[in-house]
Amino acid sequence: MSRVLPGFGLSLGYTLVYLSLLVLIPLGGLVLKAGTLTLAEFWQIATTEQAMASYRVTFGASFAAAVINAFFGLIVAWVLVRYPFPGKSLVDAFVDLPFALPTAVAGITLATLYAGNGWIGRHLEPLGIKVAYTPYGIVVALAFVTLPFIVRTLQPVIEDIEPEVEEAAASLGASRWLTFTRIILPAIFPALLTGFTLAFSRAIGEFGSVIFIAGNLPMVSEITPLLIIAKLEQQDVVGATALAVVMLVISFVMLLTINALQWWAANRHKGRAA
Amino acid sequence: MSISIQNISKRFGSFVALDGINLDIPTGELVALLGPSGCGKTTLLRIIAGMETADAGEVLFSGREATHLHARDRNVGFVFQHYALFRHMTVFENVAFGLRVKPRKERPAEAEIKKRVMDLLGLVQLDWLAERYPSQLSGGQRQRIALARALAVEPKVLLLDEPFGALDTKVRKELRRWLRRLHDEMHISSVFVTHDQEEALEVADRVVVMNHGRIEQIGSPDEVYSNPASPFVYQFLGNVNVFHSRVHGAWAEVGRDEAAAGGESGEGGETLAFVRPHEIDIERGPVAGGLEAEVQDVHPIGPVVRVELAHASELIEVELTRERADALGLAKGQHVWLKPRQVKVFAAPEYLLEDGGSGI
Amino acid sequence: MSFRRANAEPRWVRLLLTAVALGFLALFLGLPLLAVFVEALAAGVPAYLAALVEPETRHAVLLSLLIALIVLPFNVLFGVAAAWAIARFDFKGKSLLITLIDLPFAVSPVVAGMLFILLFGARGWFGPWLSEHDFRIIFAVPGMLIATLFITFPFVARELIPLMQTQGKDEEEAAVSLGASGWQMFWRVTLPNIKWGLLYGVILANARALGEFGAVSVVSGHIRGETNTLPLHVEILYNEYNAVGAFAAASVLALLALVTLVAKTIVEWRMHKETQMLEADLPPEKTQ
Repeated sequence: MSRVLPGFGLSLGYTLVYLSLLVLIPLGGLVLKAGTLTLAEFWQIATTEQAMASYRVTFGASFAAAVINAFFGLIVAWVLVRYPFPGKSLVDAFVDLPFALPTAVAGITLATLYAGNGWIGRHLEPLGIKVAYTPYGIVVALAFVTLPFIVRTLQPVIEDIEPEVEEAAASLGASRWLTFTRIILPAIFPALLTGFTLAFSRAIGEFGSVIFIAGNLPMVSEITPLLIIAKLEQQDVVGATALAVVMLVISFVMLLTINALQWWAANRHKGRAA
Repeated sequence: MSISIQNISKRFGSFVALDGINLDIPTGELVALLGPSGCGKTTLLRIIAGMETADAGEVLFSGREATHLHARDRNVGFVFQHYALFRHMTVFENVAFGLRVKPRKERPAEAEIKKRVMDLLGLVQLDWLAERYPSQLSGGQRQRIALARALAVEPKVLLLDEPFGALDTKVRKELRRWLRRLHDEMHISSVFVTHDQEEALEVADRVVVMNHGRIEQIGSPDEVYSNPASPFVYQFLGNVNVFHSRVHGAWAEVGRDEAAAGGESGEGGETLAFVRPHEIDIERGPVAGGLEAEVQDVHPIGPVVRVELAHASELIEVELTRERADALGLAKGQHVWLKPRQVKVFAAPEYLLEDGGSGI
Repeated sequence: MSFRRANAEPRWVRLLLTAVALGFLALFLGLPLLAVFVEALAAGVPAYLAALVEPETRHAVLLSLLIALIVLPFNVLFGVAAAWAIARFDFKGKSLLITLIDLPFAVSPVVAGMLFILLFGARGWFGPWLSEHDFRIIFAVPGMLIATLFITFPFVARELIPLMQTQGKDEEEAAVSLGASGWQMFWRVTLPNIKWGLLYGVILANARALGEFGAVSVVSGHIRGETNTLPLHVEILYNEYNAVGAFAAASVLALLALVTLVAKTIVEWRMHKETQMLEADLPPEKTQ
């Protein structure tokens, strides 16, 4: 540690105070509130039929959205890194649109597009597919919001694959498909998993883009964050707290998973070299 | 300004970087801190500069206590290994920085700053680069700008961390000579850190050889090379043949005489004999106290000829002048006798025995 | 030319994949963006303009801007302080601190908003004290500010920490050894070196501050003309079946999003150029 550079106490002190006021004390408040419940009460509130249904909708739709993005996101990232085409840098910048566009705007637009009379819904309805105001709508909204996570996690890793490795595989007689499944896919797999987890983690907490397209039918298309708001509006603070604790615990687990995945991706080949 | 380092120790966690260092640097001397990476030389330099705090011990500048003086008040010029030029400032602004940040009372007027900076740039022969940015310079140019920047505040002591480490061989040689001249002109004390023995021997007035946080030897370049105080110094400075004395009875005899003269062979313990490749003579016929060996290979390298020989399972390296090699007319497989001109014997330290004691 | 590089796919595969990627992006991202403007202009330009100058919409725009304007300096200050401490010094619990800084990204915005209801709401921990002193945080602008601070505070720090770690502390140590004071070092050396990264973080934080919905929605109380930010106003208009009004307001946010993308791309390009210059600089011995 350098002793000549100034401002350690000031900067760390400010960081800790700020973090405490904004994050730690509020989290502490939630934990204290949850502490007023007995474990049995907590369990009872957190596992009501409505709550369980909301978990199923939230996690099911988030998982589906992350799977869709893992597939298309991989193709988009691959094409953006490997293939030249006109306007590529524009398209590349455009991928971040879901990060920049407020979720409420995405929500009302997707709801309008996928409604029975919308540009897309109009063509799906005759096929018997209803998207808006069903759980499928939730999947669409979540896939929209989380697309950049997968693309942006994959891009640098695909860029880092040394062409020599692929050339070596080819010179050893591997077909292109074999090279992809045996050489490239294993190389990018940790990043794909990290991107998947980031997308999934963001999706389970997402609210703004979902509520407009979900229809919000209890037991069918009601996500957990909406259930929390509903409880708050009914002045059921304790019920909302219990559900918030469940969400928070899952957030922590996701955060740890992401950290562990990134650590694994960075270190997985070190042991073998030694 | 003279520098006196007294009993300095420093740990990083469980790693001992410096262990009771004592060193005096008289005014005007150019000193090299030489050692392998991790030996503590850079830490010592940073402690002198005030960039690092010692856990124990004292630093005195001109006899005055400076251990707790802040880096900015030490009047020390520090040249970083990778130059640390301010990347968003021009060369001129880089050199002017030390003058511009002086308190208003001491700050020279703009015209004076301009003159001083241009003088310094002239001194390092780069005044034509004043408006360039660091990224537009070559490594050697950057090094000289870093020096000019450090000299701008008229330091009493110049500290350089691996000043030539990141340069290619040709530039490095040029800059070495140039640094030597500059040091002589400026009348300051300079300390530089290096892991390159040639650099230390060529440039410095005195060489401080360090290893594992301790000083192994302090002396003139000639002293540390010709009269190494420890097996480590022997091995670190130049090539050397190492023999287990017990294995080679004939050599131990030579060694015992020598040991009284300055070695540190333990009575009856395992000893090692050190002989430099150019301090061995080769004879075609048997000689008293000589060691029989078989020629393995002969490599003419420029002005010298390097001969690799085998004695039992050990490889011995000998360097001859071209004339001597021509006179001998050595061929592979030939049996010859070796006679050392100078041998030094040390009690075998464990780390050398682990290596198997083979010569370099 | 029949020659094909060993590590290239057949032409038809490349065309197919490119078509799939572009088609997916067009359908999935492009179409919604287009729809915002088409819907906003569905009743003609005059109706669109009328919707934009409606007082409540105008108020929502101003409130959103005000919140962003207040929140950003806090983000900058926190980001620089946290990055300075983390990238320049070693201390215990550093990786825990970094994880804590990431936390708001992992917490659902709704839960984030709720945290502050539990603290400052009528029946929250500080609720009684606040109502005694006649000070409103929840269902008022201060609550929305705090919620936005919570949601946006990692952006600048997360951008600066890796940047400052890569840059190293040599230049700052050089400044100090040349006699610079702490502030001189910061203003003349540190800040110029991190300005693009800082700006990048600010752009991202700003986009999020302007667009945040969930957290602000929970604490705002949706009081028209008082605690409605632009995204909340979009919701209200939409739920009132005022499609033109809702999409007109949404189009303002979409335009801001496009501005964000452009600004972000420019800054990315600048940063890329600087790192490239720096990498080209490194002497060969160091790049090995």
